[in-house]
Amino acid sequence: MEIGPQIRGADAVIKVLAAHGVTTVFGYPGGAIMPIYDALYGAPVEHLLSRHEQGAAFAAVGYARASGKTGVCFATSGPGATNLVTALADALLDSVPLVAITGQVSTAVIGTDAFQEIDVLGMSLSCTKHSFMVTDIDELVPTLYRAFEIAASGRPGPVLVDIPKDIQIAMLDYKTPLLGLMAEPQADASQLAAARVLLAKSSKPMLYVGGGVGMAGAVEQLRNFIDVTGIPSVATLKGLGSITHDSEGYLGMLGMHGGKAANIAVQECDLLIVVGARFDDRVTGRLATFAEHAKVLHLDIDVAELGKLRRPDVAIAGDLRQILPAIAQPMAIAPWLAEIAGLKAQHQWNYDRPGELIFAPKMLNSLANKLPEDSVIACDVGQHQMWVAQHMWFRRPEDHLSSAGLGTMGFGLPAAIGAKVARPDACVVAVSGDGSFMMNVQELTTVKRRQIPLKILLIDNQKLGMVKQWQQLFFEERFSETDLSDNPDFVTMASAFDIPGRTITHSVEVDAALDEMLNTQGPFLLHVRIDEAHNVWPLVPPGACNRDMMDEMEKQT
Amino acid sequence: MIYNLALTLVQQPEVLERVLRVVRHRGFKVTTLDMQLAANGTTQVDMVVESERALELLSHQLNKLIDVTECKVLSAEQLSTKLTTRLSTRQIQPASALNA
Repeated sequence: MEIGPQIRGADAVIKVLAAHGVTTVFGYPGGAIMPIYDALYGAPVEHLLSRHEQGAAFAAVGYARASGKTGVCFATSGPGATNLVTALADALLDSVPLVAITGQVSTAVIGTDAFQEIDVLGMSLSCTKHSFMVTDIDELVPTLYRAFEIAASGRPGPVLVDIPKDIQIAMLDYKTPLLGLMAEPQADASQLAAARVLLAKSSKPMLYVGGGVGMAGAVEQLRNFIDVTGIPSVATLKGLGSITHDSEGYLGMLGMHGGKAANIAVQECDLLIVVGARFDDRVTGRLATFAEHAKVLHLDIDVAELGKLRRPDVAIAGDLRQILPAIAQPMAIAPWLAEIAGLKAQHQWNYDRPGELIFAPKMLNSLANKLPEDSVIACDVGQHQMWVAQHMWFRRPEDHLSSAGLGTMGFGLPAAIGAKVARPDACVVAVSGDGSFMMNVQELTTVKRRQIPLKILLIDNQKLGMVKQWQQLFFEERFSETDLSDNPDFVTMASAFDIPGRTITHSVEVDAALDEMLNTQGPFLLHVRIDEAHNVWPLVPPGACNRDMMDEMEKQT
Repeated sequence: MIYNLALTLVQQPEVLERVLRVVRHRGFKVTTLDMQLAANGTTQVDMVVESERALELLSHQLNKLIDVTECKVLSAEQLSTKLTTRLSTRQIQPASALNA
């Protein structure tokens, strides 16, 4: 056991980060975390100053999702900690490994409503995988080690460590703790055999691939499984990038804004193989009619997902890297593959649009085709997010960052900052909407401060587009509070942060403008005005079966 | 439906809050609750919960909590015997012993 000289708790925090290979943390200082910021001064761990704690936490999420490493963020007590909550919840729903370290008022005054005191441990219960408040200096280092272990193990998630100020300045003997490895579920042979029997009996199997594949580092195993079995596939929002986009039986995203071919194929299949996915309502539509004739084989690291919403015929909890190769076998499914090929040909996207205005789906498809191999797209939330999912393509799941489970507007810009820090050689583009962009627009200062060369593609319909679309379809066109025509002049605003940019409004300008954005050294904002009448199609209405998708023509009749 | 659970928890000040939050959020109602700190550093919680939902929806989520080391499902008789024994044991203890 390594024993060092006595150091402050705050210095031990930085030492634990360094021991875990953390080179960058994201945060914002304040009173109760000052000793930790003092320890950071001159330390080998780089700190990226955000301009709001939510921005710091989303940058840590973007860093984690783009790199596969655990993201780390700092905030002070009270408002600093409460500002982290949205990003912690986002990381919980999207299973992102994150360690959030918050300063707390000194132990002697906890519970006295001290200045900037709030019960952070209590607040953390519903938005973290686990949380700690350190009240004993000897527990500080073991607790931080445990936090990193919990964040990254099993189904990953956010862990919060609340550290009172007196603990930060207390002295300790730094010892590297010895932790027992956390037990992971192991697939047993009988379950694997049962899965192979299900596969052998199926003539119309379908893979439903979720974010768990990327989180498990099982992309190669999944692609090999597809090569061996030939089983056609669909992906969730978080699963995009797991399957090679141009592979033969791949039908893209399923669900509320999925492709028609994807949704029909899932309804038609006789065996649904669910890999690292969780039957989210945005995926299934009306649950009772989702793949209603199919048997279900559910594979996930999290036992609690198995049978949560749909009873599986065979369920295997364990590491997808081991399960997928263990059940792969050649399949005789030629007639089904012909049916899939027919569906795919019948439901190709059509990018021909009359008129001079910019058609965002076509622009995003062009962007995908122009991006260099090492690229990351960080999305915001709304119509543009669904267009990105439908019309762009990704080489790896870590190249597509999108707030899927929580659907947090304001995710895109800070997540892109974190991604660019994690992968400095990658081309990082934040695709945002005029509603979402304003939710964490203060992070443009972070871009300016560090001259982070990320690109911002701002798709502007002067509307809170997705809500407006639902008002149009389901609320009798009563457009309550969705008009954003009083947006600021975005290019002028960007210039105030030393970020060059331009505005385009016509489809003929798109190609040159995308090239200019991608070829500019340093950050760039491309502001794209689109027709506010454009909506996201197709769409499964709320509560409907996935087979009953609306498309644009139906809306007009 | 009525379910009887016996939980073994790590002794942490907030552990009961964690358990009760999950019970409520996952759609279950606590109708009986008994908690005792054990000498071996664990906390024993026995509870009866009520819900229209299947028990696995709760037990799996409870098992995911880091500080839940065991979540056992008991029959009504088992739980009733356990609670009766524990309550009768407590009644013969003086208040000072309980506070010790």
